[in-house]
Amino acid sequence: MDGLPLLSIVTFLPLLGVIVIALLPRHNHNLIRGAALTTALATFAASLLLLVGFDAGAEGFQYREQVEWIAAFGISYKMGVDGISLALVVLTTTLTWISILASWQPINTRVKEYMISFLVLEVGMVGVFLALDMFLFYVFWEIVLVPMYLIIGIWGGANRVYATIKFVLYTLVGSLLMLVAILGLAFSYQATAGSWSGAFDYEVLLAAGFDPTLQWFAFAAFFLAFAIKVPMFPFHTWLPDAHVEAPTAGSVILAGVLLKLGGYGFIRFSIPLFPDAAQAWAPLIIVLSLIAVVYGAIVALVQPDLKKLVAYSSVSHMGFVTLGIFIFQEQGLHGAVFQMVAHGIITGALFLLVGVIYERTHDRTIAKMGGLAGLTPVYAAIFGFFVLASLALPGLAGFIAEFLVLVGTFDYSPVAAAVAALAMMLGAAYLLWMYQRVIFGEVSDFLRGLGSHLTDMNRVEVLTLTPLMALTVALGLFPGMLLELWQGPVTEVLAQVASSPVLGLR
Amino acid sequence: MIMLDQTTLLALAPPALVALLGLLVLIVDMARPGRDATVITIASAGLALIIALTAVIGPLPGIGLLVGVHEVFAGAYVRDGLTTLLDLLLMSIALLTILFGPDYLRPRGLPAAEFAVMLLFAITGAMLIGGARDLLLLFLALELLVLPGYLLAGYAKRDGLSTEGAIKYFLLGSFSSAIFLFGLVFVLGYTGTTRIPEVAGVIGDLVAAGGLTGLPPGLVMGLALLTTGAAFKIAAVPFHYWTPDAYQGSPTPVTGYLSVGPKVAAFALILRLFVETLGPLKGDWVPFVIVLAALTMTLGNLVALTQDNIKRMLAYSSIAHTGYILVGLAAYGAAEPGSPAEQAGLEALIFYSIAYTFMNLGAFACVAALQRRPGVTSQISTFAGLGRRAPLLGALMFLFLLSLTGIPPLAGFWAKWYVIQAALQVGGWLTLLAVLAVVNAAAAAFYYLRVAVYMYMREAPASAAEVTIGGATRTGLGLAGGLTIVIGLVPPVTAAIIIMAQEAAQALL
Repeated sequence: MDGLPLLSIVTFLPLLGVIVIALLPRHNHNLIRGAALTTALATFAASLLLLVGFDAGAEGFQYREQVEWIAAFGISYKMGVDGISLALVVLTTTLTWISILASWQPINTRVKEYMISFLVLEVGMVGVFLALDMFLFYVFWEIVLVPMYLIIGIWGGANRVYATIKFVLYTLVGSLLMLVAILGLAFSYQATAGSWSGAFDYEVLLAAGFDPTLQWFAFAAFFLAFAIKVPMFPFHTWLPDAHVEAPTAGSVILAGVLLKLGGYGFIRFSIPLFPDAAQAWAPLIIVLSLIAVVYGAIVALVQPDLKKLVAYSSVSHMGFVTLGIFIFQEQGLHGAVFQMVAHGIITGALFLLVGVIYERTHDRTIAKMGGLAGLTPVYAAIFGFFVLASLALPGLAGFIAEFLVLVGTFDYSPVAAAVAALAMMLGAAYLLWMYQRVIFGEVSDFLRGLGSHLTDMNRVEVLTLTPLMALTVALGLFPGMLLELWQGPVTEVLAQVASSPVLGLR
Repeated sequence: MIMLDQTTLLALAPPALVALLGLLVLIVDMARPGRDATVITIASAGLALIIALTAVIGPLPGIGLLVGVHEVFAGAYVRDGLTTLLDLLLMSIALLTILFGPDYLRPRGLPAAEFAVMLLFAITGAMLIGGARDLLLLFLALELLVLPGYLLAGYAKRDGLSTEGAIKYFLLGSFSSAIFLFGLVFVLGYTGTTRIPEVAGVIGDLVAAGGLTGLPPGLVMGLALLTTGAAFKIAAVPFHYWTPDAYQGSPTPVTGYLSVGPKVAAFALILRLFVETLGPLKGDWVPFVIVLAALTMTLGNLVALTQDNIKRMLAYSSIAHTGYILVGLAAYGAAEPGSPAEQAGLEALIFYSIAYTFMNLGAFACVAALQRRPGVTSQISTFAGLGRRAPLLGALMFLFLLSLTGIPPLAGFWAKWYVIQAALQVGGWLTLLAVLAVVNAAAAAFYYLRVAVYMYMREAPASAAEVTIGGATRTGLGLAGGLTIVIGLVPPVTAAIIIMAQEAAQALL
């Protein structure tokens, strides 16, 4: 497979689908859906091909590609993949085809535009994970915004315009300041090295290092961009709005992949490029993470809306990611990356499940539900499975992730670990209480009134959730597969931090 | 007796040919009145030809019959990399505007021929500014540029708004021209010459002898008057008050032209006057430019946020973009003389002007296409459901809006990138200006996306008229949209434009 630009193929294959779909007749919805699904599946297959030749556990990047882009400024098209990015790429390609399948019935208007948006979104997301040039990374990072803006804004709920503009503005403020920081780094490199060559190259910058003051400011700018994306408390307020208004598949991708862009950014860029500043900032970030973990759980507890509950649970779960990253400890970092994958799968599934019930009832109010166990037993069972997975039941993926983070946190500070563990208990509380109100008890009048409209899950819906269930179990039972995959980069990142003494930053 | 040798002819050809083309169109229209289509074909084909010819004449990086700097008329006019680049850009503006015009003018009973003629004459003036090496020529060219502009602004003479806008434009325009001329007189009085290199030499000696504080007060006053005049022309805050009214009242294709043509020309004037002539004094004027840039982009954006009229919104947005371009000038001004950052600032200014031209002209062309049928207002609500009513026009407008927002990899993104990069190279206050610029860019996303919200997320009212796009507009939109994408996305093109900007900036330093 040498010489085949596999990473570019995985990244840009969806564009081929976009072109095909653009040429298809507008009214043949099934043909358009089919083409989109085929493209997504082909991309998924291509991403699996990456796994075949991948040297698991190795440090450094594989499947490298580099082509000059704008030589005058040392910008190149440089791609590469390591264990962490590979796992996230496969997560992305998996969730994309599942989302397209899940949109088959719910999306009936402007199907063509919808599918095009989704595939363009995939290009951006995969590109972010694979780019090794700061400029290229930024381009992909911003490309993600546009289709998501359209997906929420066109196919979303009643308050979609407010939600989508809030989403874009929040993200844009963060990312534009990051652009300034990227340019600042490039210029600082250019001033020292005397030439622009390599000024945007991630690996070159990594080797060059930056002085602590520049690190501090650049970290601040990157932090804002990533913290908004994760989203960390107190930058999370766009998330509930965006999730509630987004169509189901949009929520799946939003929770499953877009939030991971932030966590990935911390691991890939913030820490290795600015190890001194990262250590100076770490205590603040750890505190914010703990607040997010607890606050997200408490707010989730009182949500009357199913989707909002899952959205706030994301704030809580993503808090574990940032916590695990910034304790700079091996188990913690493993746990953080694992949590990104596990949360992507489990929360993605929960959003799909909320979507299933919404399709039938056009309502998501928890108080109006009740007794679904008897009406829709398959739904109740699958929902139960993912609720348990989300509260980190041992044997399932979420447990491994949160356990590893807790172990690492305990090593860092037992008090912090105690707070995080408390949040896990709260997690069990809001999830089980919600499950109890929705699934058990008397059948509510509202549901009874729907009569025969309230059918159990159909085959397509089960099909979208089965792979996610399988993954949740597989990763829960054999976490070693994944941990081994990204052992190399995890060691590397921690070595970066360890080798740089905490400097006396102000 | 001036010898017209071959080089002189080549150097002068582009503006001369555009003026001749204007005359030709005028004659054709007199001989065969009312043949709008013929006239437009002649004008646009002629311009396209002159554009190609200008590219052949050069000097452009790697190509062109001429190489290096060519002075004509005893040094009053110069053809260097900057002149040619500006010529190409300005003629593209005229060409696109001529393509966009007829579809809008014809249904309103306005003649297209005179429209094209005035545009061609105005652009001749703009092109002369680009190559002016003499203050007198600079001023004359400026007047040649703006006089047809006043007429164009009032082109719909039975429309009250158009007349009102034209009068405001005319009054403030001639006022600022007078201020500018007054400033020139001061400079002439203190330096004793109108030749730009000689003026620069005298000022350089003065600065070398006594520093900036030792300058004669009259010269400083002249500088202040010139700055004010130029700020009026580019519509920098607080000299911007004429813009929204003039833009709103003018026929939409004219608005599009006004938002780019005179602006690019005014920046050409700034390059020739402030950089080439008054470069040694930059320590004196740069604080004003920094303040102007900060005010211009911030106020432009803040006011644009509240507009419900698309033409006014785009007018304020163009004020904001002026602010971003001024950041490039500020970077040049604040950089150490002879440092690479100095050139980077000028490159950024030039690159931004190029990118801005196509995306802004394109956005106005979309508005004009939507208003083809008389009676369609300029309210943003007229865009409701456009994504479905006219998918192609909607997609193009969305593209231009994204580029104006600065979303990669479109042309507008590279422009912002270039400006920020130049500002960061200088550091200090300019870093703050760069941060202010990106915060502004994020705020601007709100009002650009609002249009997209109407296009894609609101349903059209049942009464919405059908949108049809004429052939000429289609060509023009294709060109503007194509360039907005290609400049950003196709590496050789991006690189070529960067190199052209670099050579043009070098020509000035």
